[in-house]
Amino acid sequence: MRRKGVNYSKYGYIFSLPFIFAFLVFSLYPILYTAAIGFTNLQGLIPKPIQVLDNPFQNFKDLIYHNVAFRTSLTNTAILWITNFIPQIGLALLLAAWFTNQRLKIRGQGAFKVMLYMPNIITASTIAVLFSTLFAYPMGPVNSLFEMMGWSDGPIFFLQDKTTARGIVSFIQFWMWYGNTMIILVAGVMGINPALFESAAIDGANGFQTFFRITLPSLRTILLYVLIVSMIGGLQMFDIPQLFIVPSGGPDNATLTTSVFIYGQAFKGSYLYNRAAAASMIMFLIAAILSAVLFYIMRDRDAARIKKEEKKLRKAAKAAARGA
Amino acid sequence: MKRYLTASTAILLLTSVLAACGGNNSSSGNSSPSPSPSPSPSNSNASPSASNTSKDKVTINLWAFTDEIPNMSEKYKATHPDANVEFKTTIIATTDGAYQPALDQALAAGGKDAPDIYAAEAAFVLKYTQGDASDYAANYADLGLTDQMVKDAGIAQYSVDIGSKDGQLKGLGYQATGGSFIYRRSLAKDTFGTDDPATIKNEIGPGWDKFFDAAAKLKAKGYGIVSGDGDIWHAIENSSDKGWLVDGKLHIDPKREAFLDLSKKLKDNGFHNDTQDWNEAWFADMSGTGKQPIFGFFGPAWLINYVMKDQVKDTNGDWAVTEPPTGFFWGGTWLLANKDVAKNDAKKEAVAEFIKWVTLDTSDTGLQNYWANGTMKDGEQGTKDSVASAVVMAKSNGTIDMLGGQNMFDVFVPANANASGKNLTQYDESINSLWRDQVREYTAGNKNRDKAIADFKQQVKDQLNIDSE
Amino acid sequence: MANMERSGTVSRGINKTMIYIVLIFLALLSILPFWIMFVNATRSTPEIQSGLSLLPSTHLSTNWNVLLDKSFDPIRGFFNSLIISGAATLLTVYFSSLTAYGLTVYNWKMRQSFFTFIMCVMMIPAQASAIGFYQFMYKLHWTNNFLPLILPAIAAPAVVFFMRQYLLATLSIEMVEAARIDGSGEFYTFNRIVMPIMVPAVATQAIFAFVANWNNLFMPLILLTQKDKYTLPVMVSLLRGDIYKTEFGSIYLGLALTTLPLFVIYFLLSRYIIAGVALGGVKE
Repeated sequence: MRRKGVNYSKYGYIFSLPFIFAFLVFSLYPILYTAAIGFTNLQGLIPKPIQVLDNPFQNFKDLIYHNVAFRTSLTNTAILWITNFIPQIGLALLLAAWFTNQRLKIRGQGAFKVMLYMPNIITASTIAVLFSTLFAYPMGPVNSLFEMMGWSDGPIFFLQDKTTARGIVSFIQFWMWYGNTMIILVAGVMGINPALFESAAIDGANGFQTFFRITLPSLRTILLYVLIVSMIGGLQMFDIPQLFIVPSGGPDNATLTTSVFIYGQAFKGSYLYNRAAAASMIMFLIAAILSAVLFYIMRDRDAARIKKEEKKLRKAAKAAARGA
Repeated sequence: MKRYLTASTAILLLTSVLAACGGNNSSSGNSSPSPSPSPSPSNSNASPSASNTSKDKVTINLWAFTDEIPNMSEKYKATHPDANVEFKTTIIATTDGAYQPALDQALAAGGKDAPDIYAAEAAFVLKYTQGDASDYAANYADLGLTDQMVKDAGIAQYSVDIGSKDGQLKGLGYQATGGSFIYRRSLAKDTFGTDDPATIKNEIGPGWDKFFDAAAKLKAKGYGIVSGDGDIWHAIENSSDKGWLVDGKLHIDPKREAFLDLSKKLKDNGFHNDTQDWNEAWFADMSGTGKQPIFGFFGPAWLINYVMKDQVKDTNGDWAVTEPPTGFFWGGTWLLANKDVAKNDAKKEAVAEFIKWVTLDTSDTGLQNYWANGTMKDGEQGTKDSVASAVVMAKSNGTIDMLGGQNMFDVFVPANANASGKNLTQYDESINSLWRDQVREYTAGNKNRDKAIADFKQQVKDQLNIDSE
Repeated sequence: MANMERSGTVSRGINKTMIYIVLIFLALLSILPFWIMFVNATRSTPEIQSGLSLLPSTHLSTNWNVLLDKSFDPIRGFFNSLIISGAATLLTVYFSSLTAYGLTVYNWKMRQSFFTFIMCVMMIPAQASAIGFYQFMYKLHWTNNFLPLILPAIAAPAVVFFMRQYLLATLSIEMVEAARIDGSGEFYTFNRIVMPIMVPAVATQAIFAFVANWNNLFMPLILLTQKDKYTLPVMVSLLRGDIYKTEFGSIYLGLALTTLPLFVIYFLLSRYIIAGVALGGVKE
């Protein structure tokens, strides 16, 4: 196949160079800086000589063992991510299936696709203001609606109740991002070999079968992407919890995510940069471990799946050839 | 995807670290930060030269979080055509906490682009006058603004207390935000038989016991005394004997702790409409369209002029102000000067002149006269506001339609004098929001009193690293 | 047989109705905030404070005047935002595609470790790398400069990951090899043959990147302190002022003005998504 024995592998390096260069310049230095701070006593607004702590891991120890709010924030982050990601991926998959289903031929799907992504265009602070107006207490649109429909006896203080407050934050995240996820999935479905769908149609598979047997397995790589990016995004959930409820993270720390916690460490008046940095590093470790686990599991199956698919494809081709 | 958003927001985190780093920079070398070439070559040789004959203008870097003070600088130039000064303004909104990190950075970095005059809001002014960043601020005395001038202008004591560190004045405001009680005349007549401020003052105070007696009387007539518990919080916060911190430890002043019980009492007896400040229902109570008519609001002059005026609707003219059951203040802006301006005589003079005009000039051409009478813009009747100088207020006309023609300055002069500025800390904003969150948990019945206090202490420790006593 | 088909179409008809109901509901939910934003742009501050409304009011010109009074320069803001977001988006999609291509097509020794490296980079919380970034820009004297807002876009690990996954699913090595046989250079192959195949992926990622850059507030807010460098979101944030006398009407007008260009660009780019790029480049 090679033409005159040219070795193309050097292009792999060349094509990756800009990325590496930009990363080294704009990210690595700041990251190392942060990592280093975590082991020091850097606190307070006015610069003092920075010293590495006697026990370099003191900040980490304090956070993990003595800081109730930090542990709460980890739990909250997990809860808020799971409760928004499951419906989000579910709805996005459903929509992607609808939009790419050749038999359904949904009219105006272009317009729908465009509109469903729109919540992502508006800034988080605008959305936060809008939703706190919607769920205002004791007077507000949602409360009026509930009263009109007879669903509640008196006004409900949505943002003071832990469950509803979390639910609303979760819903906003879900609502802001399902369109984004859907677009990625649709793009993924479009990359699936049409021959697979055709052969499925020939085999008389219905919509459900096609979706679960063909679409979903072929989407694995894209699903992995969505899963990991969303998980990392979820771990870093910041804007809505920060801006939506006063105090940020309230009520009673029910929506305090790790990012909000970290921000507070550095900004709520005490300038605990070292603790903020240490917490960032813990977050990094968690993200790395979770992603590594996810990636490992998914990739193994992925490889197996590709082999299977190839077999299937060959079979289908054979069958088609025979049929012809 | 999500990374972009969070990445952008989290950037904030770094910005204050850089204050620390910036400091290191300047000590390690000459890295005075020059945000790319400034287009005014005229000020490049503003070095202190013995000959003061040069016609070069002095450039003052002015940092603010609204266009209020920059507008004043325009007015200053208009009224002082011979002032040899140019303002280079930087406005960064306090929105999303961006102002302080940027200001801290610029102060720490120093150099020719460092802020010469900067503004600080009540929520964080302590940090710049007495707290971590107070070392950057010049003493007013070093600018030639003496304590005698402050005395002569009749500046409210609380404002001076907040602006001073160890007796050295570092910041003053142009507004005074001493609080009053703003009430509905018609409800007062119905309940107390009169709407006379002098009488109502003694019905609702002094002290919270009398206030709650009045609340009971109002409730009997079907009225709430305030809109929500946030309304009494500002009054309670600033009338406590001690602030949140005593010797570096969290201290819950008995008067602030009592907020738990007062708030519960308001809620359990239906003395309020259970609103939160700045929400729809709170505004609705200003026009009497809430669940039950609300008797009054606690607030300074700005609440009347900037907030209520447009919200009272049909109840315009049905309001009056009187002194509150306990003195307090709410909000305000302080002006500080960088201590480095003293290094350059021309600059020092220009900075001092401007600050004096804004904060201490009691003449008819001083800023506060314009501010109090709403004459900042020529020929246009602007908003009248309570100002820092009692002298200016005494000669100004504070009558307002909303108050049925009452001269509000009659109340705000004593209100400003009764406010205390001695119980603030630089952590107030954060600690207050944690405290009010736990108080709401308690009044909503989600947890008992002891648990609310314990959780409050734990959160302050977790988030601010402040132990409790 | 015919019967079965008919019942099939009927149930499909019902299904379709359900689908349309769901879609319309979701679409309404999506439009609502924009509608409220545009309506609020025509309402006065007290009106906005007294609650939501779905009907426009009459204060548009008042809000407009307040806006102009507050040194809001929509034209300059628009161009500043456009330069930053446009350049950052181009860099992100082009270099991410390039890197992804390098990762998929070439068999180089460091390939696997480089990919693992990119995965790790992606997992670094934004907080972590943020802390030192500003300090560094400050040292470089890059404040009030657009470069620190544009250049870091070259390294966008999540986009690289996406592009790689997309290439894995769609690109056939045979095509690249065919191009080589035709004497096409590697860069030429990438630019002329591979990029067109990647259009759906590029368009989607470009939208995400553009929106994120356009709405980015904090970094510009802190890096750009000169008036003539402000982006639109920075200008809007300055409208907010202090809480005591916020002109909400003009803020919403400012927000609406900020969103409008985004709309236009979004709709232009979204044509690729709607059209669903021809899958001609897909492997056999």
